[in-house]
Amino acid sequence: MIELREARKVYRSGSGKDEILRGIDLLVEKGEYVAIMGKSGSGKSTLLNLLGALDVLDAGEYELAGKSVHEMRQGRRAALRNEEIGFVFQHFQLIPNLSVYQNVLLPLVYGKKRLGKKRSRVLSLLDEVGLLDKKNQKPARLSGGEKQRVAIARALVNEPGLILADEPTGSLDEETTESVLNLFDRVHKQGTTIMMITHDHDVAKRADRILRLQNGVLI
Amino acid sequence: MKLITAFKLACFGLWSNRFRVLSAMMGVVIGMFAVIVLTSIAIGVKDTLLKQMGSLGAEQILVMPGRVLDTAGGQKDFLSGLTSVPSTLTYEDAEAVAQVPNVKSVTPQLETVTVAKYGEKSVQSVLVGSTDQYSRVQHADLSEGRFFTKEEQDQKAKVVVLGSNIHEALLGLNTEPAEGGVTEPTETKPESWWKRVLNSLQAGVVSAEEVSLVGKTLTINENEFKVIGVLAPNAALGSSTDNNIVMPIETALQTTDMKNLNKMVVEASSIDVIDEVDGAVFSTIKANHQEIDFSVVKQDQMLGALDNVTSILQVMLFGITVTALLISGTGIMNVMVMSVRERTREIGIRKALGATTFEVMGQFFFETLLLCFIGGAVGIGLGYGFIELWNSQVDIFALVLPIWAVKLALYSSLVIGGLFGIYPALKAARMNPSKALRFE
Repeated sequence: MIELREARKVYRSGSGKDEILRGIDLLVEKGEYVAIMGKSGSGKSTLLNLLGALDVLDAGEYELAGKSVHEMRQGRRAALRNEEIGFVFQHFQLIPNLSVYQNVLLPLVYGKKRLGKKRSRVLSLLDEVGLLDKKNQKPARLSGGEKQRVAIARALVNEPGLILADEPTGSLDEETTESVLNLFDRVHKQGTTIMMITHDHDVAKRADRILRLQNGVLI
Repeated sequence: MKLITAFKLACFGLWSNRFRVLSAMMGVVIGMFAVIVLTSIAIGVKDTLLKQMGSLGAEQILVMPGRVLDTAGGQKDFLSGLTSVPSTLTYEDAEAVAQVPNVKSVTPQLETVTVAKYGEKSVQSVLVGSTDQYSRVQHADLSEGRFFTKEEQDQKAKVVVLGSNIHEALLGLNTEPAEGGVTEPTETKPESWWKRVLNSLQAGVVSAEEVSLVGKTLTINENEFKVIGVLAPNAALGSSTDNNIVMPIETALQTTDMKNLNKMVVEASSIDVIDEVDGAVFSTIKANHQEIDFSVVKQDQMLGALDNVTSILQVMLFGITVTALLISGTGIMNVMVMSVRERTREIGIRKALGATTFEVMGQFFFETLLLCFIGGAVGIGLGYGFIELWNSQVDIFALVLPIWAVKLALYSSLVIGGLFGIYPALKAARMNPSKALRFE
């Protein structure tokens, strides 16, 4: 379960300050599939960064799976990201000099699982996303859809309770978008909570609920 | 556990960026190469000086012409305080010193320049008259034949032992006879390696006719001498025996106009009586001379005179090492800072996937450390190769690579990695993951 109470985020630039999130209250149940929509600059990505513990609140409270994230220090936030959260980004964010297999393995390197289990988990996920035969290839040799499937496999490898996706289909064509969304549907059916930023209404319609953000507040 | 992860990631990081790593490593490689080679030059020069100026054994005393002046501190200054006066030391002085209690042996040496002839060939050489102890005292080994005996010395036998250059010149192996048949060999100037290779090839051709003068007769000052041995090449700075012709001192006194000794090496029966013998030798010679126009020097006095030279070398060595460290360190830090900047997005991804600040810092710190360690090892290897090549091809002086210099270079490279790796590692570790992920 995700709970945000009076969440605020301010960015300071030079002498001025810009309040991006202005007291957000949000409750997302475990296993829910939520789409977040809003214009550019409405605070969608900032909200996702806070939910993913990549950034810290300036005010308010944030609880994830019963843990008070707003009180956590850097080290515990890193562990939380590793164990509880999987990220899927619009531009894939794969490390170019690592192979497909190594990219998917990366969250496990920073985790606590034993190596034997790690290998089989990575291989079974690559099989699931249909990329087992490309496990030794570098990301540069993959298509956009394939790269996003690698990113999804990487997000799932630690069996997180929450997947945070920032416009995961933003760089993909219609056909590839469909196959990626089908993957999200499968993950959702397995009980994983998904929060996805999108500008596309058709993509948003596949979620259980749509949140709209405007000038840093949910409407 | 996290430290091991960071180390493994650093190894992997270096391997993934191996082409960039190679260029980054160059600074350390060159720095450590410079440390190794310059250290070996400094040590080599120091050792050569010590060997020559301090070639006396601890139980030996050197008697030489001229008086060594005292410095302001009351110490004898052998480097600049030795007065240049004609020698008044005689063979009689040497015989008198031999009678001093606790003197084990006395090796006097006479020297003059002469021309030796063999067949059509003539060679200018340094004629040395000494005793059967010469080869031992001068550390001159024989490459063939034998040295003259005490009996031959007493019998004033007309026998000579040739230095290697003289032997080769008389055989026509390393110099061409000048017009008129007289060859003017240069002073102990060592030949370049390629000349020696060429000479050795030419020697192979000549050797079919004549390869050694041992047993042959040559002419010096209208007298004929039998060659009984040849000294091994000994191209040490300033005290080479390569251009010498050595004969018994009694024979030299009879067949040349040499009267005064160039030096005399006195050997005490044990190190315990060295001071006593030193004083007695001085008194004995002084009794034969009207004024003190000679010097009696012990090994510790000789070595003490080298302290100034060696301390300059040590300061130079320290300066070189520190400069090399700073240059390599600054270079590697700049490269790593650039690398951190280029890999900003990668750092963001790693942090998003759960890498802690400590793990990111550890990865970049170990990358710098490994980079410096490998670069240091490569630099040391190249330096070692250079020293081996130098020692096999160049005879001016030998480069000496002490094990402490290797350790110093290796530890230095680790210190560079440690010190100059901290800043890039901290820079990487302090990155905000959300900002790093947006980096273009």
